[in-house]
Amino acid sequence: MSSTPSGVETSGPPAVELHGITKRFPGVVANHDIDITVAPGTVHAIVGENGAGKSTLMKTLYGMHRPDEGRILIRGQEVRFHSPSDAIRHGIGMVHQHFMLADNLTVLENVVLGAEREYGIGRRARARIQELSDQYGLGVDPDRLMEDLGVGDRQRVEILKVLYRGAKTIILDEPTAVLVPQEVDELFDNLRELKREGLTVIFISHKLDEVLSVADEITVIRRGTTVATADPGSTTARELATLMVGGELPVPELRESTVTDHVVLSLDGVTVAAPDGRPVVDGVSVDIHKGEIVGIAGVEGNGQSELIAAIMGMRPVASGSIALEGRDITGWSTLKVREAGVGYIPEDRHRHGVLLESPLWENRILGHQTKAPSVRGRWINRAGARADSERIVEEYDVRTPNIDVIADALSGGNQQKFIIGREMSGAPRFLVAAHPTRGVDVGAQSAIWEQLREARAAGLAVLLVSADLDELIGMSDTLHVILRGRLVAQADPTTVTPEQLGSAMTGAGLHGEDGPTEGDSGADGADGADRRENGGGA
Amino acid sequence: MTDADRPTRTLPGPAALAIAAVLGTAVTFVVDMGLLWWAALIIGVVVAFAFVVLTRDMVPEEFRAGADGTREEGTALHNTLVVPMVLVLSLAGGLLSAWLLDLQLIEPVAAALGGLIGSALAFVLFHRLGAMLALSFAAVLVAGVIATGVTAAVLFFSGIPPTATFARMLEYGTRPDSMVQIINDSTTYYLAAVAVAIGFKMKLFNIGVDGQYRLAALLAAAVGGYLILPPVISQIVVIATAVAVGGAWAGIAGYLKVARGVSEVISTIMLNAIATGITAYLLSTDRLAVQISTNNIGTPPMEESAWVPGIPAGFLGSDNEIFGLVFLAAAVGVAYSVMLNRTRFGFELRATGQSQSAAEASGVNVKKMVFLSMLFSGMVAGLVGLPQLLGSSHYYALDFPTGIGFIGIAIALLGRNHPVGIVFAALFWSFLNQAAGILPFDAIPQEIAVIAQATIVLTVVVVYEVVHRWGRRYQQQQIGRQLGGTVETTGGGEAK
Repeated sequence: MSSTPSGVETSGPPAVELHGITKRFPGVVANHDIDITVAPGTVHAIVGENGAGKSTLMKTLYGMHRPDEGRILIRGQEVRFHSPSDAIRHGIGMVHQHFMLADNLTVLENVVLGAEREYGIGRRARARIQELSDQYGLGVDPDRLMEDLGVGDRQRVEILKVLYRGAKTIILDEPTAVLVPQEVDELFDNLRELKREGLTVIFISHKLDEVLSVADEITVIRRGTTVATADPGSTTARELATLMVGGELPVPELRESTVTDHVVLSLDGVTVAAPDGRPVVDGVSVDIHKGEIVGIAGVEGNGQSELIAAIMGMRPVASGSIALEGRDITGWSTLKVREAGVGYIPEDRHRHGVLLESPLWENRILGHQTKAPSVRGRWINRAGARADSERIVEEYDVRTPNIDVIADALSGGNQQKFIIGREMSGAPRFLVAAHPTRGVDVGAQSAIWEQLREARAAGLAVLLVSADLDELIGMSDTLHVILRGRLVAQADPTTVTPEQLGSAMTGAGLHGEDGPTEGDSGADGADGADRRENGGGA
Repeated sequence: MTDADRPTRTLPGPAALAIAAVLGTAVTFVVDMGLLWWAALIIGVVVAFAFVVLTRDMVPEEFRAGADGTREEGTALHNTLVVPMVLVLSLAGGLLSAWLLDLQLIEPVAAALGGLIGSALAFVLFHRLGAMLALSFAAVLVAGVIATGVTAAVLFFSGIPPTATFARMLEYGTRPDSMVQIINDSTTYYLAAVAVAIGFKMKLFNIGVDGQYRLAALLAAAVGGYLILPPVISQIVVIATAVAVGGAWAGIAGYLKVARGVSEVISTIMLNAIATGITAYLLSTDRLAVQISTNNIGTPPMEESAWVPGIPAGFLGSDNEIFGLVFLAAAVGVAYSVMLNRTRFGFELRATGQSQSAAEASGVNVKKMVFLSMLFSGMVAGLVGLPQLLGSSHYYALDFPTGIGFIGIAIALLGRNHPVGIVFAALFWSFLNQAAGILPFDAIPQEIAVIAQATIVLTVVVVYEVVHRWGRRYQQQQIGRQLGGTVETTGGGEAK
């Protein structure tokens, strides 16, 4: 792999050059003095910890906002993008971390949507999609309905969308965050194919092993600026990590076990039905003890959100029961559940966790509007809420000028720290933590882990749902795998590897490991692999 | 004073305020002997303002935080927007209060008091006005200028001289009798707009205020006309009837929304039509109505003991009376403000309006909130007809004013659903209505007021949104810059 840069035709100017890019932006990290040169026909990785400013930089390159200073050159020619369509016109395409696809449309319709002028919407468009799909080995069927496709296929559709619009340089923003290890390998095969066809790929990630295996050149970003350019052939993951954080990467891990035999939350055969009657959570039974963190691993969309919604009283439970400290709380309202001492860190903080346009101290009241110190009877206790917000800002290191700024003005990590501080206040007995460190910078990440550890030591019971397998393995006392609404396997977090977990998540079972496997995983595994056609093909 | 000693000397906040006020008043008083009162007042307030600006660094820190708490003084936005806005607002405040006081007091005293108010405003606003609030004022100002421009253009192209028309409207609109009429109209409009605003805060569009108040006024008038009750009790019963009817009528829409998912826009429009039908059915001599005059029928006139006495408007120089229920409107405004900002219910209302999903995840019963806010909106809507009913007409007849519910929507938009903003919006709206009354005498179409009203609503909504968005982004950048500094220093190595 170290020989690849020499294999590239040296003719022609660099595909993309960024010089002295500075972008000031709400939040903790601003881009400043970024210098990157991307050679054509290569996979160029940009690595940096969460919140280092990678996404901000790529949004600048994609024309989603303009840099305050600095120059962008595309194939040697200076450009100024006012919008993504300018970027597309110059052959820059971007695949976002979160897919932007309409579930109820077919692949063809999704690809053509917004680019009807390229090849129409009929036969010519279909032919072009087929041609691109064959040329780059994407294996996309234009007539499949989007909702039938798995995550890996969806990502290939996103790449196809970009190619269809004539992109010569493709930006992939954290493409592996939503994939299990097997799908990651397939993606990398696709990327090598793209490279072979002469396209340039800018690959953003914070996962070093992946970067080392696929990139031709690596640029490291730390605290908003480029700190080094590395050759993957002569660099180790450890060296990259040191460059990324300027020190050792924090590792999520628990110290000695604090698990007691006192059951705080007990789920017994909990089933949640979709509007069409199909179970999305299917007979989940699990006990969570005082001082225990129970992790749930699973590909997104396998019932995690619904399970949480059921516990929080936001969705009705079709059958089964939920008990908190021996009291049956099935069917309780969200308010009653919260009042009974359940904290909730929602997976989508913008939708469920904060009022973006309200000041921080009003956000302190949210979800706690019936409890001191935010209220006194029917009246809002401004002084109490403000004082307690000050405490949270202080204790949880929320970076904000004061508690009167609106939540929207803070970076995601700081919003999250505030939410966690809020949910930890009032001494909860049980905490639902959904993706607690998603989109949070490294400093905040280790702070959040530390808070969870302390609360656990103090006897808190936690249900942890996360897409970050390292976090799950490192933070959980007990680890379950959820697949299509069922708990299909239980893994021992002290021995399981992310790869084993990943294969269990796709339904292949915890192979290569003799850990206990829950009843029906065999059958499920078989048809799970079936459904996801190319499950083991790569 | 020299630049060097500025930071070392300090001046306690109250003392600086006192000096500014005394300075402004004295200058106004002295100059007033030589010049016209308004010129004197402008000079006085400007002097006080200059004093405030010069002593800005001497006033201790805690007196200076912006309304939204960020360090704003000295930033570019503060210098270019907030400072001029403060001058404009304090001048406007001073002139307006001097003009109002002049109706009662002798001119030199009124001018001096105006100077006092203007100077005090200059100090308080300079140190307390937040950028976001200043932006809102600026937005309204810009919208006003645009709307005036559009109206002037319409007049100009119709061959009517704009300035003369505006001068005529201003002159007529500020006559004592006109002012009483403006206050009375505003009372009604204010209630209608608050009713609409309660829904707006929840992102609910109560178009049905119109039907709710008409039905409520009719039934309340019938109760007042047929039931002879002792004074005070009679008024209370009439008001309670109106509130109950308005609430019940809006409650139907709320129930349909919660239980059946029917859009409140559709159902309230339908309910308006049904209310029209019901009032027409009930307002017949076979049922609730009696013959009022040869070509008018209505509910029987109420006993005088059931009326709400008016307030003699002698202090404005008019022989007419202001509706006594202006106090009811004020009380509703205060209650609305307290409910919104100080109670749990108000918090849940605003939270649901901002983000239904976040409210739900926080344990707010969204369905209950939808129903209750619709109910409260209707209860306030029930009050809309009462100032007219109890203060002036004393019966509900065919000529009872209609369409106030729709005006309420426009005024709520204009006042940004803010309890105080709606007051000014209502006053402005009725001023235009009243002032346009003179135009037919000059053979100028009266509809010019409608054009002005329509443009101002449109421009306020658009300009406000644009300015507000820009302001929010600016604020975010400011915070990013403040915090960005600290990150760069801990980042180590890189030059700033």
